[in-house]
Amino acid sequence: MEGASTRGVLSHLSLLEVQARNRGSQVPQQPSRVKELKAKVEALTSQRDQLKAELQIHKKLQKLRAPADKHEEDGEDEEMDIDSKSSELFHLMARHSELTDLLHAHNLIGGYDAITTNGGKGMCFSLATEYEGVYLDTYNLELNLKPKVRISRHNIPPFIPLNSLAEQSDLQTDVGAFLATVSQHLNAFAGRRQQLKLVKEQHKSVEVMESNLLCSILVLMFTVPKDKTPLLCTLEYTDHTRCLPTRVHLNCHDKLLPDSPNWKKNCSLLKEVPVHRALMAIKKDSDIV
Amino acid sequence: MDNSVKHLLQRLIRRIPASMLKSTLDKWGRLTAENRKSLDFTQSKWTIAQELVSICEESELTVKHITELEMIYITENPNQGMWHTFQLVDPEDDAHSVELMQFKEQFKSHLSELKRNVSVKIKKHTDEAVWIRVAWGDGLSRPNHLKATYVVHYLQTPYVFVNALSSKHKPLLLQALTLSTKHQQIKAANLSGQKLTALRDLLMRQYQQVFPTKYPSPLPEKLRIEKVQAEASANRHRMAGETFGDGTLPALQSAVFQLETKFKDPTNEAMTQRDEPFICSVKFSSSNLLESLRHCAASGIASTPVTPLLSSIPLKGRNYFVITDNVPTA
Repeated sequence: MEGASTRGVLSHLSLLEVQARNRGSQVPQQPSRVKELKAKVEALTSQRDQLKAELQIHKKLQKLRAPADKHEEDGEDEEMDIDSKSSELFHLMARHSELTDLLHAHNLIGGYDAITTNGGKGMCFSLATEYEGVYLDTYNLELNLKPKVRISRHNIPPFIPLNSLAEQSDLQTDVGAFLATVSQHLNAFAGRRQQLKLVKEQHKSVEVMESNLLCSILVLMFTVPKDKTPLLCTLEYTDHTRCLPTRVHLNCHDKLLPDSPNWKKNCSLLKEVPVHRALMAIKKDSDIV
Repeated sequence: MDNSVKHLLQRLIRRIPASMLKSTLDKWGRLTAENRKSLDFTQSKWTIAQELVSICEESELTVKHITELEMIYITENPNQGMWHTFQLVDPEDDAHSVELMQFKEQFKSHLSELKRNVSVKIKKHTDEAVWIRVAWGDGLSRPNHLKATYVVHYLQTPYVFVNALSSKHKPLLLQALTLSTKHQQIKAANLSGQKLTALRDLLMRQYQQVFPTKYPSPLPEKLRIEKVQAEASANRHRMAGETFGDGTLPALQSAVFQLETKFKDPTNEAMTQRDEPFICSVKFSSSNLLESLRHCAASGIASTPVTPLLSSIPLKGRNYFVITDNVPTA
């Protein structure tokens, strides 16, 4: 990876490619064409010179940069033929390009904390989960890279279908996509679990009738203020990458209650807003005790 | 109450340890306050059992209630008998949305289709475990409540734990489980033991696993020789921890390696000419096998990095392995 100068070259090359393709559709006009080409040669020559100069600077910077994985004893202190003023600048530029590369690498692997293991033959990723600004559990996933990319150790619970997610994204070519999906599932699960915890803490008048490990289904028992009628509310979270239910279903002895405008509104609310907050609103409206 | 039910109750009371009897009966909630007061728990179990039989007869409690009591006791004290693990494979598309009601109905209906005269009880425990009790009868006889099979399953996970299942009933139970969880197959997971909680914690990854981090703990500065020793020891500890985990580990109690190997001494033709391999079984037992193995690795008794033969136990969640000459099937 060579930072800014490489990106510049690559994008310029692709621009030239596009232009080359477009050139096919243009009718060549001879004299202006020659002039055009001459101008192009000049532009390219000056660009080449500029790139050469950048390359020189870059080479010097590379020598100044701290080698990422070597021990300090192995480093060599080379004699730099730069004066002290520009040496400070060079050091800053070296540091800047180092950090840019590091950030680029970090983004390449999806922004996860990762380290190589097993002498470079494996990698261990840390997948953090958070919900509403609170960091929850962190999960770890080790991959063996040689001879094929394979899941090795992990502490991801078995109700997250890791193997089928690995099959769906091609693990050999796109580890980033796989990690993104796993992270999505984990974060959604952590969010749903956190919501259940908050419902139990904040809404003691609501009884949790059923839940499961994956937190993909939640059955709550409400008490309607009038006559203290019990109302059963089933929240189905069929999309496991989301924290909100895909379906909300009410059951009541009073068959008319679920169809009342208030409760229709409440059902929509439960699909749009996390359950612990939706319940606050519903309580405020005195629809439940 | 007929004699078989009386016998069931008496056997159950004998089975429940004296220290747990009162609390289990309270959880059961089938005795009136008066009855509960009248029971003197300082008496011998036999006497308590007799009293309970008459109380139950008075309250007209049936076998259904007795089996309920048994289920409460086993659910609270699951680390007895021998649990075997099975793994569901090839989930169908809607396997992930199977919910409790649906599972209960499906399991009961599939099982009764496969075998008449089974008595099934299903109950969800507070930790989301679905507990199933099956008493098997056949076409002619009533379900035998003295030898009930217990099954524990967490929905949306592939694992099923089974206790006291005879080979005769095994295919029926496994089929009912596979169908009701919407999978296509079920296979043995090669993990067994007395402690259900250990098997469950191992497979559900509910223990402190250790993963390589960027920030290893610093070594205390010491003399060179001590430093080398300390480094080696720290490395062993780190590798042992990464392989087995930190802190208290699931209390797996045994691991069995079955070796099938041909005799290899070239000077002994008589033996090398045998076609059949030697079968040798090696069993490790411990009150907490994983902690013992971790200690072996950390102290240098077992070489590090830990051999796959041992690391496969926590990694694959198995404690039964067959090792042949060609490839260890681990």
